[in-house]
Amino acid sequence: MEKYLTQQTSIAPLAVFRALFGFIMLVSVIRFVANGWVYDLYIKPDYFFTFYGFDWVAPLGEFGMYALFFVMGLAALGIMLGSFYRLAAVLFFLSFTYVELIDKTNYLNHYYFVSIISFLLTLVPAHRSFSIDTIRKPSLKRETVPAWMVNIFKLQLGIVYFYAGAAKLNPDWLFNAMPLKIWLPANSHLPVIGELLNYEISAYIFSWAGTVYDLTIAFFLLYRPTRIWAYISVIVFHMLTYFLFQIGMFPFIMILSTLIFFSPEFHKNIIQKVQKLGTFFKLNQKEAGAQSSKKITLSKKTHPILAGILILHFILQLLVPLRFTLYPGNLFWTEQGYRFSWRVMLMEKAGHATFHVHNPKTGKNWQVSNWKHLSPYQEKMMATQPDMILQFAHHLEKKYKQKGMDDVEIRAESFVTLNGRRSTLLVDPDVDLTEIERGFTHKDWITPYNENQTNWFTNN
Amino acid sequence: MKKFNHILFFVLLLGSVTLLSSCKSNTDSEDSNFDRPKMLKNYSENVILPAYNMLQDSVDQLNSSATTFSNTPNTQNLEVLQQSLKGARLAWQNASLFEFGPAEMQLLRTSLNTYPTDTTKINDNINSGNYSLGSLDNQDAVGFPAVGFLVYGDNKTDSEIVSQFTNETNAQNRMDYLLDNIAFIKENVDAVVTKWKADGDNYASTFLSEENSGTDIGSSMGMLINAMVLHYERFLRDGKIGIPSGVRSAGIPRPSTTEALYGGYSVELAIENMQAFKRLYLGIDLNSNDGLGLQENLDAVGTATLADEIETNIDQSLDKLNALNDPLSQQVDSNNDPVVEAFQAMQKVVTLVKADMTSALGITITYQDNDGD
Repeated sequence: MEKYLTQQTSIAPLAVFRALFGFIMLVSVIRFVANGWVYDLYIKPDYFFTFYGFDWVAPLGEFGMYALFFVMGLAALGIMLGSFYRLAAVLFFLSFTYVELIDKTNYLNHYYFVSIISFLLTLVPAHRSFSIDTIRKPSLKRETVPAWMVNIFKLQLGIVYFYAGAAKLNPDWLFNAMPLKIWLPANSHLPVIGELLNYEISAYIFSWAGTVYDLTIAFFLLYRPTRIWAYISVIVFHMLTYFLFQIGMFPFIMILSTLIFFSPEFHKNIIQKVQKLGTFFKLNQKEAGAQSSKKITLSKKTHPILAGILILHFILQLLVPLRFTLYPGNLFWTEQGYRFSWRVMLMEKAGHATFHVHNPKTGKNWQVSNWKHLSPYQEKMMATQPDMILQFAHHLEKKYKQKGMDDVEIRAESFVTLNGRRSTLLVDPDVDLTEIERGFTHKDWITPYNENQTNWFTNN
Repeated sequence: MKKFNHILFFVLLLGSVTLLSSCKSNTDSEDSNFDRPKMLKNYSENVILPAYNMLQDSVDQLNSSATTFSNTPNTQNLEVLQQSLKGARLAWQNASLFEFGPAEMQLLRTSLNTYPTDTTKINDNINSGNYSLGSLDNQDAVGFPAVGFLVYGDNKTDSEIVSQFTNETNAQNRMDYLLDNIAFIKENVDAVVTKWKADGDNYASTFLSEENSGTDIGSSMGMLINAMVLHYERFLRDGKIGIPSGVRSAGIPRPSTTEALYGGYSVELAIENMQAFKRLYLGIDLNSNDGLGLQENLDAVGTATLADEIETNIDQSLDKLNALNDPLSQQVDSNNDPVVEAFQAMQKVVTLVKADMTSALGITITYQDNDGD
């Protein structure tokens, strides 16, 4: 146990991890802004689907949002260079997480991953080697850190992969090769592997290989003799997903992050090679020699606090993905306890929601034009997720109240198709959603999932 | 450990196969279940371009009828002009489904067919003689609906309308506004058609290029389907039927929001648009030759029952639309129930196309990174 927690180990893996993470975040932030997504996702829409309990998180207006992304980019740069590192890490964690909390439409597991990694980075002195901070202040430089400072990242990565793999252990994925059976042929135009993707057997091979990969990769990365091969498969796996799916920066984030499993020597090598490029690094290294062999020790006060935070964090990491077991019904259908659980690329779900309004005072009935209130992306994401349907109904209620219609009834008729099954009603179309409260309790107004729903692909 | 190594070996093997297959040239293999590029070619050459050509021809016709009318304003020439306008509006029903690429850049639909038209604004423009037809402010005072108002008038006889263009105050301004509007329509249509054609900007080749042959958002298929679904939902189902019937407008029927309010042939336009939608879905050209279309694509991925169900529902919508009488404004006023029924039938198509079809074909209708949850 001591070996993995308190024993001193080289700081090199942590420092390289910090620099690579900062780098890929900087690229991500620039890409996000350059794609016009700040405008499309956080300025243009009239309405935002907040997370329950985080309704106070709101977009900051055009200037505010761009300013926030500027801060985020600077902070990423600070992490990468190890410059004003602690401040940069805290700023990055806060700004990134704030943006992710604005609208659950944009929720992605990899954004959640970034939030967690940046949170963990705020807890460790990853700037005490291979950084601008150690040039500014050579006394900061250290050769070693307690092992836990490196191992928390390995553990986090291991949890992500393992839970992602465990989530694939479901009949649709394993025995029907769904949704890959749909997604792979859609990529048959790809020059390299396109032809293979039309074969049904490919969907099965990809499904099973993906499951085995996710469940085992962390162990192969930990075990030195298999490490290099495991890492090659990390590259192959993530690059495949990059070419097959619109998955953004995630493959690159994982390819860089998993380098932390490699040995201190490997990372020292990297640092040395980089330092050869920058001569001032070299000069600095000589000056700092004397102090750098000192150990990083935590004061008696911070030690238990830090330990408490980390233990709580990892207990939550283990339990949160399992919270779905507290809800009745089919997880993929109800999505109660679906987010924050590393359920990645698991289902093909699409829907179309119509909101029916009834004004009891006038006896009039009408339907809402969703597109007048929501972006196409919001509309699409809402149609399949009950909590968002409820939120939108409440938003509409408020809108009509402002127009002087005090007590309208709003019902949702949302037809949803899951993994190729014929679309059917997701929520009870007779329930007046203005009477339902938001919250984490079971949503009994979700139409129970029909196990025998016919599938367009198999007709049974 | 041996077992693990085997699994690892398997994973690596898969990777190597992937890499090795890159050395092989990508030939059109017969193993392919479905030839998506061929479908796109059919759409481009046999459906989209002919529809634009037809629109361009009919707008040219409209333009020359208007010139004749302006040279000799009489009831006979007015009737010819009215017929030409109807011809152009029917042709537009076949081209309005493709609001992506050049048409989207040109805002073709907004320019040509924003209704209900604002008659006060039109009269103001005529009286002042000072207007810019392409401006945002004038969107609901231009295009086919505005021309419809000018050549049919509000409850006016043909001779009364001719008189508006010849004797009444600002008659010349009115004639100018008519001609300017038709010129504006022609300008917009010509611009879009030129951009599509090989002797113009050749957007057709971009549409058919290999890099756009996928199913993601920027792909040709993604754009086509998104445009098709969006048009169907907002402009065919809601614009032509839902809003006039009140289903989409606070429960109050609004007869004055019909497409051809003054010409009185809104139902005819809706049917034409629905038929164009059906042809697009089936991949059928204007001469009823059946090429590769979305229907065949659904068949190929193994969802033939879905393909049939969509066609059945389109046909049922057509039946319901055929049961309506023009002018639609009167039908809404006197007997709205069949209009609501038509809306409901059309609604079923939205669900099947927007949810089931896009899902079965793996079409992305988002532009954002997505990990599928």
